[in-house]
Amino acid sequence: MLRNLVFALVFALSPAMVQAGEAGPVMRQWYRLVLELVRHTPTYSPPVASRSFAYLGVTGYEVVANGTPGLTSLAGQLNGLTALPRRPRMVYDEAVVMQAAMALSVRAFFGNTGPSGQQAMDRMEAVLAAQVAEGVPPDVVQRSTELGQRIAQHILDWSASDGGAVVENMGFPREWVVSGAPGRWVPTSLVAQQQAPLLPGWGQNRPFAMPAGSTCDLPPPPAYSEDPESAFMTQAQEVYDVSKALTDEQKTIARFWSDDPMLSPTPPGHWVALVLTLVDREGLDTPRTADALMRVGVGVADGFIGCWWGKFEYDTVRPVTVIKALIDPKWEPLLITPPFPEYPSGHSTQSGAAAAVLSAVFGADYAFDDPTHEEDGIAARPFASFRVAAEEAAVSRLYGGIHFRAANEAGLAQGACIGGYTVALRTLP
Amino acid sequence: MRGLWAVFVAFPAWADTPVFVDETVGSGLASVYAGDWQYMVGGGVSAFDCNADLLPDLVLAGGEGAASVWVNRSGAALRFEKAVSGVEMTGVTGAYPMDIDSDGVADLIVLRVGENVVMRGLGACRFERANEAWGFDGGDGWSTALAATFERGAEWPTIAVGNYVNRKEEAFPWGSCTPNWLHRPGEGGFAPPVELTPSYCALSMLFTDWNNSGQVALRVSNDREYYKGGQEQLWHIEGEPRLYTEAEGWARLRIWGMGIATDDLDGDGLPEYFLTSMADNKLQKAVAQEPLVPKFADIAFKRGVTAHRPFMGEDLNPSTAWHAQFGDVNNDGLADLFVAKGNVDRMPDFALHDPNNLMLQQADGTFVEVADKAGVASMRSARGGQLVDLNRDGLLDLVVVNRREGAQVWRNTTAGGHWVGVRLHQDGTNPDAIGARIEMRAGDRRWLRETTVGGGHMSGSLGVQHFGLGVAEGAEVRVVWPDGSVMGWTPLAADGVWRVTKGAAPVAE
Repeated sequence: MLRNLVFALVFALSPAMVQAGEAGPVMRQWYRLVLELVRHTPTYSPPVASRSFAYLGVTGYEVVANGTPGLTSLAGQLNGLTALPRRPRMVYDEAVVMQAAMALSVRAFFGNTGPSGQQAMDRMEAVLAAQVAEGVPPDVVQRSTELGQRIAQHILDWSASDGGAVVENMGFPREWVVSGAPGRWVPTSLVAQQQAPLLPGWGQNRPFAMPAGSTCDLPPPPAYSEDPESAFMTQAQEVYDVSKALTDEQKTIARFWSDDPMLSPTPPGHWVALVLTLVDREGLDTPRTADALMRVGVGVADGFIGCWWGKFEYDTVRPVTVIKALIDPKWEPLLITPPFPEYPSGHSTQSGAAAAVLSAVFGADYAFDDPTHEEDGIAARPFASFRVAAEEAAVSRLYGGIHFRAANEAGLAQGACIGGYTVALRTLP
Repeated sequence: MRGLWAVFVAFPAWADTPVFVDETVGSGLASVYAGDWQYMVGGGVSAFDCNADLLPDLVLAGGEGAASVWVNRSGAALRFEKAVSGVEMTGVTGAYPMDIDSDGVADLIVLRVGENVVMRGLGACRFERANEAWGFDGGDGWSTALAATFERGAEWPTIAVGNYVNRKEEAFPWGSCTPNWLHRPGEGGFAPPVELTPSYCALSMLFTDWNNSGQVALRVSNDREYYKGGQEQLWHIEGEPRLYTEAEGWARLRIWGMGIATDDLDGDGLPEYFLTSMADNKLQKAVAQEPLVPKFADIAFKRGVTAHRPFMGEDLNPSTAWHAQFGDVNNDGLADLFVAKGNVDRMPDFALHDPNNLMLQQADGTFVEVADKAGVASMRSARGGQLVDLNRDGLLDLVVVNRREGAQVWRNTTAGGHWVGVRLHQDGTNPDAIGARIEMRAGDRRWLRETTVGGGHMSGSLGVQHFGLGVAEGAEVRVVWPDGSVMGWTPLAADGVWRVTKGAAPVAE
């Protein structure tokens, strides 16, 4: 199995896998673990996961930029990020710097994970720290470790003020008053915790590359109406009709992009996992690896902030509510309806952003296979481009019965706009 | 399918809030479920009479410490003496009692981190290893669930063992769920186990006749923390085991499954299932349709049993639930629900002070939390438990195993309604009639109990089945024996235990 292969390499103490001086493999190994921690840490809903991917990406990139002439720091480019610690003119080991930075950061973002995650972080840190220090003079190890920790801590301090650092009750407000107005969101779940929407303030968080959550505005969704001829009911009827005639391929697409929290690396983790696959496939060097991981993290994180701004600006009802009330009381969507307002689609927005970013990194017509869910028994899917993949992610929400078409299409457009701010970041020479 | 009963409409409820007295200190019971990562799950307790004095004795898992057997010396107050039993093994996550060799003395199936062990009961609460004598391959896993039954016509039981993650993958356990095992009868004992794959880190298993068809299925509750591509499971068990499929109506459910409790809450002749998890718990009821398919609606929210966060104290983070069990603690005729709660291990996003729940069923089918008023809202980190009448006074007492802290026992002193106890017996194979179905009726009220081994969180009882009767001074019992034969409706006087033997009239015990 892929998992066994990957981690046997780490835990068998393979010196060929992670060596002194090579920062890229260290970063990739930590990311492999992070994808599991995201899946197994209960506060890690998709927005929360995207935030951690962004900060970890920035950390990894700044470590590389710190020791690589010609790379441009993100300080002054990302909102609120001040100049990173500079390194005195002495000898450093880049793998040790990366190891120290990632270990500190991952522990900070996943300090609340369960006992298995804690154990895995302990083991990862111990094994990688030993590997990268092999053959490196102790004073260099110490100096490099301190530098990595200073860089990581600088970014952690920056992260503390973005509005997303504290997540209580798994992101659900303990008290919430549902609007009650026609067309507004109402709870769709029989889970007591989900009678309030997930993270209603997330759209107010400080974004990374774009100016504000509202920067990439959305057209209003079709006005709520119970008139069967209205635009609103037409799209509700479409969700219903599509659900009644789903092909096997459409069901596969819905499940491929379902990316449920606690059961997958989440939607942003799906794109990060794909980047890791492509980094290996292309054999990218360390600066390009760090750049790609930073950009996808920042892109999806801004995507969720912008999307959540829209969700709570419009506060719209989900298909399951409308269809059960007005079309078919026994109808059930293929996917579980997420516990927050409908418009725009989160997966669509963040996929639109990821596609914009990755098209800039790998190319607009870059074709690839996406094996993200193979360990869960879901076969890899081929895509002609990132844009095609994002479009499939968006329409998957229609097939799954959890979004109207307008939310998917507007989300994709919003994401493309948001991703543009990440694309504009200056990094590699 | 046999005809469904009419749904219970009304029955005078006994409104008393139960009263429990913590007798842990005076009882002499002293046991800790100890250990680190490999003991974050497990921690069971079983209750059964191992010395033929009619009082249920206790077996408590010790984790890294030794398991222990406690002889019940209770009178009015609860009292236990630690026995030298032969069960004093380390690595025990739980043990279930069952008369495996049908000799009239209960045996034990001991689940462990390491080799599982079947132990032949010798009487006087002593046991001896019987793996070799009975051909039982105990394997070398991390066993965390069990269900057992006698398949129709079999001379030897069938035991399903649920296994957790590959404990050697401690640095990266996700996706390493190890195969569950089905031990079926073989030549002179057990055949080599077959793997029940796919396996998804089972934490509770239960043989249950979910559709009242006369054929049990195997329900498995799995921990989504560790599986990949997994879900809850229901197995056809006749012939070669095979999973119920979506084409048969099975609906995918993925939770942190930790425990299964079952009872027929509404008297319709079909069991409901309470599934413990983290945050919200589930209460499943089969969706009414003809023919019945394994599609269950979650009615936990409607019934008020989500028990998703502490109901008292200042810690309002989501709860973590383990053992669950239905039982009528105030003898009002309505099954109540106990849920053991406790953080997995210092997980800050979940309640660190997580009181156990005791939820009383009301006449309208909803439940009301009374654990604090009843005196059982312990904040210790609970795992296993049992509601069981420890002193034969007709009231269900409570014993709870806690992780890294001492076990606790409470005596029920409620001035409740009437009750009746039933101990099934049949001559020959399977003397405790595992797999039988006990039906009870009094006035408009009906009860159903499947006699089974398994479920809960590594915890179970063997022996008397307790029924609260409310104001009824008697009831009628009907038994569908494991071979399908039926004992017709037979009157039982309230407030006593009846030994009901196949082919004979019930006898007061």
